[in-house]
Amino acid sequence: MRTKLSIVVALAILGSTAYTTAQAYDGDWKRGRIYYRQVCTSCHVAKTEKAISPTTKTKAEWAAYLQADKHAKGKDSVKQYISQQYRASIKASNKAAEKFADVPDQELLEDIKAFVTKGAKDGDSPASCS
Amino acid sequence: MNSQHTRWSAAVTLTGWLATLCALAMSSMVGAANTSTADHSKFKELQQTFQSGPDVTKACLTCHTEAASQIHKTKHWTWEFLNPENNQRLGKKNVMNNFCISISQNYAFCTSCHTGYGWKDKNFDFSSENNVDCLVCHDRTGNYRKLPGLAGHPAYKEMEFPPGSGKIIKPVDLAKVAQKVGKTSRDTCGACHFNGGGGDGVKHGDMDSSLASPEKELDVHMDSVGLDFTCSTCHKTSSHDVPGSRYTPTAMDKEQAHIRGKADNSNPATCQSCHGNQPHPVNLAKLDNHGNKLNEHTRKIACQTCHIPSFARGGVATKMSWDWSTAGKMGPDGKPMTKKDEKGHVIYDSRKGDFVMGENVVPEYFWFNGKVKYTLLGDKVSKSDIATPINRIDGSPTDGKSMIWPMKVMRGTQPFDPVNHTLVMPHTAGNDDIGYWKNYEWEKAIADGMKNMGAPFSGKVDFIKTEMYWPITHMVAPKEDALDCVSCHSNDSRLKNVQGIYMPGRSDNNKMLDMAGWTLALLTLLGVIIHGAGRIYMSNRKG
Repeated sequence: MRTKLSIVVALAILGSTAYTTAQAYDGDWKRGRIYYRQVCTSCHVAKTEKAISPTTKTKAEWAAYLQADKHAKGKDSVKQYISQQYRASIKASNKAAEKFADVPDQELLEDIKAFVTKGAKDGDSPASCS
Repeated sequence: MNSQHTRWSAAVTLTGWLATLCALAMSSMVGAANTSTADHSKFKELQQTFQSGPDVTKACLTCHTEAASQIHKTKHWTWEFLNPENNQRLGKKNVMNNFCISISQNYAFCTSCHTGYGWKDKNFDFSSENNVDCLVCHDRTGNYRKLPGLAGHPAYKEMEFPPGSGKIIKPVDLAKVAQKVGKTSRDTCGACHFNGGGGDGVKHGDMDSSLASPEKELDVHMDSVGLDFTCSTCHKTSSHDVPGSRYTPTAMDKEQAHIRGKADNSNPATCQSCHGNQPHPVNLAKLDNHGNKLNEHTRKIACQTCHIPSFARGGVATKMSWDWSTAGKMGPDGKPMTKKDEKGHVIYDSRKGDFVMGENVVPEYFWFNGKVKYTLLGDKVSKSDIATPINRIDGSPTDGKSMIWPMKVMRGTQPFDPVNHTLVMPHTAGNDDIGYWKNYEWEKAIADGMKNMGAPFSGKVDFIKTEMYWPITHMVAPKEDALDCVSCHSNDSRLKNVQGIYMPGRSDNNKMLDMAGWTLALLTLLGVIIHGAGRIYMSNRKG
């Protein structure tokens, strides 16, 4: 019985290690750029007539913003607009949402984070929103 | 007790397996995005701290042993091209334009777009393999930037850039870039080709940063959520030599679409190399002859003429004219100044003169057979109201080799030598006491640039009107946005200046021919009416 328990524990440790490895996903800034521009920016422009450029914040400010997960001054969450559920809801009218419909939420969030970090005011390549 | 233990054990086992499967599934998803067979971060040669770009190249060449020698044979390296049509020695090393004019004595700035390191004067060692820059084309981080003034090098230490701006540039992490290399992309090619002429979209008009991640409306092929072509999808490269040339463009491609496995040395970057010469579908079953009519047009009309209705469509303005003769005016404070238009485009710069910027520009159209002749240093020019062509395009409706092509025509006024009657190559860039952008003295700047080329200069400076032709071939719109018939077949249409053809709908046609055509059409109609009426009459009589 002890042997069996050891195997189970070992598997659980292996599983969690592998999970941690998977967690260390390296964000794809190009995919993030597409989503940022074609979903985030296009909606911002349509609803507020104002785009938000990655250069409006520093890297630290973007990290804090995404960590806080408060969109529209806390009215809703950022993650909500990155979720598969949201993408499914707009994919009929938004090609980027359609193309990335099956990308796991966390991966897409990392992609966007990679893009805004790179394009931030103090980033490696400050970027515009269009 | 045993039963409880068994249930607990089963639950733990199940949890363990689920955790493992979940992790493996996530790992596989992460890996799914990467199609490369090599993870360069695992190569020991690249796991080191690099001091310079050439150090990275040295590491790359330990595996890619032939890459540098291949690059050495390309225009991207030599910046030289011998036109076999007319034996003109072209390439950036030799030609002039009516943007920043030439590279002479501006090497350290212009060569930020050279695929090499260290080209700071005319003594650059073109035989050095370590001076080849692999990263500028193969960077995938998007953080590798060669700065103007550093002779093709990126920043290796923290520095103020541009000098005096107060803006601090961080050094590039060479190891990180080297470990992430991959295929070329729109971003890597665009780092130079989007910024030709000294800034985003300035030179070409059909290439700017909006193509880095475009939507379908801007470019149907590069659409980042659609076909997602990279530059190399069309400019299919072999041995590092990228096909497609503005010195010897393929104006008419009579070949059929390329077939995989079939040897074909024709240019792979033409529309026809994929679409063939009869690209419009014909549906005779539905009595739809529209495709046939369009396919007839492909004999004389370049695809780009209808399918690129305008250029600079992505929100980035392109320079349409540049007047160097007005450079040198200072602001009220006696210092160099800039002026901007209502959209924020710079339209005057003390260092450069006046500009006209354009967005959504309708091209000009010309017969073009692919032959281009440049006005080179030493060629005689004369000042007049007619602009001197920097590159003279050849073509006619009757040579059997020409098509009607859309062009950006860049118009300029640039310095020339009124005594020797030649265009000149001024030293402009640089933080020295000779370059025009610092000292605002044409004579000194031109004398230095010409001396470097071993060309005579009288010491006198005047300005001459020039124009330069740029065939438009990128920013292909979706078919729904292609030109309709009346865009060309009407009075005052976009083809109104294209001569030598009879075009239905245009008022400058031969009136007799128009009248003969209309008379025939009218007679045909009358014939049909009379015939129909006759049959009805006869039918009634029999009845």
